[in-house]
Amino acid sequence: MKINPRLFIVELYSFRNVVKQLVSQQLILRYRRTTLGYLWTLINPLMMMSIMAVVFSALFKSDLKTFAVFLFAGMIPWNFFSAVVTQSGAAFINNEDLIKKIYLPKMVFPLSIMLALLIDSVLSFFALFFIIYVIGGSLSWTVLFLPLAYLMLFFFALGVGLLVSVATVFFRDLQYVMGIAMQGLFFLTPVLYKHEALGGKVAWLVRVNPVTPFIDLFRAPLYLGSLPNINLIMQVLGISVSFFLVGLFVFLRQEKKIVFRL
Amino acid sequence: MSSIRVAGLSIKFRIYHDSSPSLKSFFANLFDDKRQKKYSDFIAVDNITFEINAGERVGIVGHNGAGKSTLLKALCRVYESTDGLISVDGRIAPLLEIGAGFHHEFTGRENIHLNGTIIGYTPDQLRQIEPEIIEFSELAEFIDTPVKYYSTGMYMRLAFSVATAMHPDILILDEIFAGGDAAFMNKARTRMHEMIDKANIMILVSHQHELVTSLCNRVIWMDHGRIVADGRPEDIVPRYLAGEMNG
Repeated sequence: MKINPRLFIVELYSFRNVVKQLVSQQLILRYRRTTLGYLWTLINPLMMMSIMAVVFSALFKSDLKTFAVFLFAGMIPWNFFSAVVTQSGAAFINNEDLIKKIYLPKMVFPLSIMLALLIDSVLSFFALFFIIYVIGGSLSWTVLFLPLAYLMLFFFALGVGLLVSVATVFFRDLQYVMGIAMQGLFFLTPVLYKHEALGGKVAWLVRVNPVTPFIDLFRAPLYLGSLPNINLIMQVLGISVSFFLVGLFVFLRQEKKIVFRL
Repeated sequence: MSSIRVAGLSIKFRIYHDSSPSLKSFFANLFDDKRQKKYSDFIAVDNITFEINAGERVGIVGHNGAGKSTLLKALCRVYESTDGLISVDGRIAPLLEIGAGFHHEFTGRENIHLNGTIIGYTPDQLRQIEPEIIEFSELAEFIDTPVKYYSTGMYMRLAFSVATAMHPDILILDEIFAGGDAAFMNKARTRMHEMIDKANIMILVSHQHELVTSLCNRVIWMDHGRIVADGRPEDIVPRYLAGEMNG
């Protein structure tokens, strides 16, 4: 099967309105007819993180304020990544009707899910930013690095999400595997604890976990108030680009087969 | 001037005896040399070649499962061809499935924009044709109500009005749609005929043979994925009907 990247981009661009519609569909639908509406998207993770901050700062006997900032900084990239991976499995399966009826570039389905999640994540980031400020956390100018961190995180998640969305069409079991796999991965990702804190036999798993450097990347400006060092940035860039390219390659190879397998 | 050229087109479906192979069986099969086939191939469209030029009104007839709808979907790019080439010149409007992408939680107006975008209208065009769509569907009163509260007739009226709001170069129909109450059906039928008149090329799959004879100036008869005959409706339709009687 031939792959023509230029045609692919031109075509995707010509369907940008469909992507826009699908993104707003997801954002609007979720909380239609609830009183607080879209605010739930912000309240939910904030409540969850606050509960975790209270419980685990007590458990680890650390200062609540410091721990809250530490936890929030790690939860932001983790929540986004985890939501992308668990939701992209359904990207094609949930749109079976549409895919079998009308031609659309298949990319619009996973892409619209990820863009909607990115919007959620950025908005909940601003809410957290506000909370950190209120509880007296110090915010430095280094947060200006975050858009770049988000960009790299997005392409990493996009790559993984594409792999999962395509693979799930062929192996439906993955829908159920991914939920529990992400829970396992959460404990192997230094969100609750410091990178160095987990020793013993599983320490190497934390080191090879590709999500780990992204946590460090967000934590540097938010928690430490410093820019991430250049080695970390290069490492994250490498992970982000390679996952994106592998995901895109697999997707383009399988794109035309999806309709026959739904 | 629009045209459609199809050369050596084949579409193969792989029918899985299990709906989808599990991860377990995938890995089990990797190491199993004597694995049995878990699927069989079904050739829905088998090496078809034809050309349709501007002005032609083509009816496609054949038994259920002859490959008619699969061929239409291939022309609309829903199915990728296994073999062969399709080249289409002109804007295709598939009226295969009216209401594709409708969301029941959305209001009528939101669905006009969602469905309209999916079937290829630009935001500007949509803003322009929105009042006309609402008027034609006779749903002005309910246009800001979620469509899940619509009756089937209301739903069909809205879907039909969106799908037929613009005139495409190439019109592709899988059976002529007519739904809703008697008054709307008349209106819909009139609009359908208007669309057919204005289209540069029309392709219609139908089991109503009088309709095919009256609307088309060319008929393609398909059976088991192949073209049996291709010619004037007066010649082909009686032959097909006679074959149907005997076979």
